[in-house]
Amino acid sequence: MANNTTSPKSPFSAIKVVECGEGIPAAFGAKMLADLGAEVIKVEPPGGDLARRRGPYPGDQADPEKSGIFIYLNTNKRGVVADLTRPEGRELLAKLLADADVLIHNVPPPERAAQGLDSAALCAAHPKLIVTSISIFGDTGPYANWRGYDLTVANAGGWAYLSPGASPYPDQPPLKCFGSQGDFQGGVHAAMVTLAAYMHRLKTGKGQAIDVSEQECIAAMLEMNLMHWTYAKRETSRLGSRLLGPWFIADCADGKIFALAVEEEQWKRLVELMGNPEWASEDLFKDRIARGQNQDALKALMGEWLSQWKVQDLYREAQKRRIPFAPINTMRDLYESEHLAARDFFVPIDQPGVGTVHLPGMPSKYGRTPWSLRRPAPRLGEHSEEVFCGERGVSRERLSELRKAGVA
Amino acid sequence: MADLPLSGIRVLDFTWAWAGPFCTMQLAHLGAEVIRVETTARPACVTRLIPPFADDVPGPNRAGYFNQYNQGKRAITLNLTKPEAIEIAHALVKHVDLVVDNYAAGVMDKLGLGYDKLRGIKPDIIMASLSGYGQTGPYKGFVGYGPPASAAAGMFFGTGYEGGDPGEIGVSYPDPNAGIFGAFAIMAALAHRALTGEGQYIDQSQLETALVLMPEGLLQYDLAQREPERHGNHDVVMAPHNCYKAAGDDEKWVSIAIGTEAEWHSLCGAIGQPQLAADPRFKTAALRKQNEAALDQIITAWTSPRDRWDSTRILQGASVAAFPSMGNKDLAEDPHLAERGYLVQLDHPEVGKRIHAGIPWKMSGTPCAVRKPAPLRGADTEEVLKSLLGFTLDRIEQLRKAEVLI
Repeated sequence: MANNTTSPKSPFSAIKVVECGEGIPAAFGAKMLADLGAEVIKVEPPGGDLARRRGPYPGDQADPEKSGIFIYLNTNKRGVVADLTRPEGRELLAKLLADADVLIHNVPPPERAAQGLDSAALCAAHPKLIVTSISIFGDTGPYANWRGYDLTVANAGGWAYLSPGASPYPDQPPLKCFGSQGDFQGGVHAAMVTLAAYMHRLKTGKGQAIDVSEQECIAAMLEMNLMHWTYAKRETSRLGSRLLGPWFIADCADGKIFALAVEEEQWKRLVELMGNPEWASEDLFKDRIARGQNQDALKALMGEWLSQWKVQDLYREAQKRRIPFAPINTMRDLYESEHLAARDFFVPIDQPGVGTVHLPGMPSKYGRTPWSLRRPAPRLGEHSEEVFCGERGVSRERLSELRKAGVA
Repeated sequence: MADLPLSGIRVLDFTWAWAGPFCTMQLAHLGAEVIRVETTARPACVTRLIPPFADDVPGPNRAGYFNQYNQGKRAITLNLTKPEAIEIAHALVKHVDLVVDNYAAGVMDKLGLGYDKLRGIKPDIIMASLSGYGQTGPYKGFVGYGPPASAAAGMFFGTGYEGGDPGEIGVSYPDPNAGIFGAFAIMAALAHRALTGEGQYIDQSQLETALVLMPEGLLQYDLAQREPERHGNHDVVMAPHNCYKAAGDDEKWVSIAIGTEAEWHSLCGAIGQPQLAADPRFKTAALRKQNEAALDQIITAWTSPRDRWDSTRILQGASVAAFPSMGNKDLAEDPHLAERGYLVQLDHPEVGKRIHAGIPWKMSGTPCAVRKPAPLRGADTEEVLKSLLGFTLDRIEQLRKAEVLI
């Protein structure tokens, strides 16, 4: 199906993972393990995972079996349905956990006990199980039971406060980055720590509980901004001006480029590339700090030169001189990138009912560990019978009763 | 020492800037012994050289940027322009499990520290190279800084105020993101080695680690041939979903997001306008999305005279997702982060006790902790060369004079 499927048997194929909770965090964490070969069973509520209701959809026609984000997050997994808010649903979960190595979920702390997902109770019942929970604020502390979405994380973690940066518009609010970055960070941190716990289990045979806070993941990614306060009592924000320059988004003849040359050597090479204009030696632009302070003037002067270039030509010429410009790429630019094509980054998969979907692929290229997309994302409840009846001894009559009762 | 997940794992760390140190810091958090290689021969380690410095007094050991992202590590100086320094690096490789670098493609090979060379020295070595564009492909030598990586990955294109131009995103996000994905890949390689005995090489492109976080935009283009629209803090489905002005200066805002009918009804009650729940403009999620400008006005009228924390407490009391937009001072003084032990204040020989961001996860069976503050430059050179390679103090002194250990 994919171009990365020539894999030998993965050493990770023995790891059995159960995933529950909706949306991105646990699904992405489990995907990272699944893509290395782990066997993942995704548990959805009877109404289906909320990612099914978010799209993007082929031709913009909403259909829970055709959601792009759901497909991306859930290839390589088998899918079952169990309503964990009901005792019969929790019995099904118990059957899955009986032979699982890892449970990864993002059910919010106040809902866990009612769904049989209390970490301490699970660890006591399954001493070898690794229980990884992802939440907005973590499992403990005064905000543990507070509600949140990705927007909440962007603000609670301190990122939105700094974004877009160097803004002249105080009436415009802190700005969230595109997408669902807090949720994705929760997922990748959880996957990383889960492997650490797995290493520990290989040595000791013992499982444990992991508590990942999305707020804390983001708060650790703020560059030097936290230390501006704790080292020098300076508050930083989305407003103000750039400390260094040039550093701005500029118009070229056929699109936009990000013009950055903040090291003195980069600036010298850029001045050369610009043909050594006279203004470049003026005092206003004498060092990178002056170029930051006088960036409006600099931008105006560089503007004419920039506007004569095509984005890709300038990108290459700048990079040839080790000037770190980059295009403001559109999605189309990325799908058409010769570089990403040469690295086989996008992976085509055949998703039943949808056709070929070109998914973002491997985040890291491994010399030995196989990475592959082996099966499409599951239809809602596609593997309930196979997993519960075929493999875990639930009778077909019982599953049929549970389905009628809306549990499975 | 407590038995941590990576106890007994030793890392030789050639990284600089932000992405690489963020990666190896995760390994230190998990119990690995991380030995940073630095040099004073050229200003390679930029994070020691840029503000903020403690109390605004510059100095390589006083930089917050460095001290934040190198917590828990050791540091040696090794001038890699000298052949003797490369020999020492080779000798150290025999004693380590893992080598990490974040140079542009080809630099480690030129230094004589490429994977093939290191594998010859230690067959089960794991090496991870975190570069801007990867080790192969037409852009393999391109310079990959964090902010331009956001542009290249489409993050600027998708981010921005309603109807406005592409926007920047405030921090150099693809850097720590490359670091955390690198840490995941390294954990996978360590687990792979534990299961099979094999080492391996990891080629990671910062651009690609950013692109795996862009599925909503990429797949909208792939499935519906539409580029993502810029819509400020609004969501494609949820409404209301924004940062709202709170009482106080230009920096005081509170985020509110509504994802379910129950939350919508709670919000209406909490802001004292239960009749809104029956308002035909807002009866369904689709209608709320359609009329979100009107909703934003109604909510702003409620939030703008109120303190952001008062609004947050009222709304969270009704199970509505609300939270202030937090600045650096807010984070440093946050009682929740303090109670969770996230804010770390260890005694550093030059800057004393300063708050740093700690570990964003907790493990019940292997309690990780930031075990020591970031190292002073070269602090462990003698100890590492003596204990691992059996160097005498005389020899170390000679190597210093010969500018090998600077």
